[in-house]
Amino acid sequence: MITALLVALVVLGGSAGDVFITKGMKQLGEISTLNIRRLIGLFGRAITNRHFLIGVFFMAVSYFSFLGALRLADLSLVLPATSISFVITTFAARLFLKETISPIRWAGILLVCLGVALISIPQP
Amino acid sequence: MKTAAVLITAIVAQAFGDVCLTKGMKAIASLEAGSSSMSDSLSQVLHIAVQAFQSPMIWVGTLLLIVFFALFSAALSWADLSFVLPATAFGYVLNVAAGYYLLGESVSNTRWAGALIITLGVLFVSRSGQRALQAQPEKAHASGVIE
Repeated sequence: MITALLVALVVLGGSAGDVFITKGMKQLGEISTLNIRRLIGLFGRAITNRHFLIGVFFMAVSYFSFLGALRLADLSLVLPATSISFVITTFAARLFLKETISPIRWAGILLVCLGVALISIPQP
Repeated sequence: MKTAAVLITAIVAQAFGDVCLTKGMKAIASLEAGSSSMSDSLSQVLHIAVQAFQSPMIWVGTLLLIVFFALFSAALSWADLSFVLPATAFGYVLNVAAGYYLLGESVSNTRWAGALIITLGVLFVSRSGQRALQAQPEKAHASGVIE
């Protein structure tokens, strides 16, 4: 039960992190410079952007939940279970970032999810 | 094109970062292996942390993963999350290949099949990229207005 809760935190924390980081980066605007001073400036703006920081916080929640889950269950269970995060994050991107996801992109994401699950299954 | 360049660099940095971390941590683990059985007493964890801190391999690995995260975030400043995230999943394929070729790990057929399916999935996603990228400036603007 606690394992399931922690795996859910891994997945939801990761998705929330990605969504907030995307929101923060979109607020910075498209990065299209290779000027080192400007890049340093952008770095400063990123790490002081509220959405970006909330995103990093959720990433940390996800990571420590992952470590916690590994104390209770095998990596062979935890790692394939987290592959569902590709699908969850896509739903979150559609809902919260208003991204349009074409059928071919959906197909690709489902394939990625399946492939990551297969890779994560422990080898005999 | 910019997206492809940034994401490919990010993925390669991540794969090499993971290889460096694996090499570094395995070197520490083999030093530890002789001393006692694996227990997670605080002193042991601290001991490993100190050793990791002194390993150049782990520093390089960590640096490469920071490069990955910076490029990943940069790509998110203009591209869809639902494009960037599955695209970076190609890193899993590179990790499997790097594990096989650089670290001498054995890779099962299931795992190669997974790598193949991910590659196919990333190809699909990249085909959807063009359209999403064209729609991007409007979207960035729109979300700016909502804020």
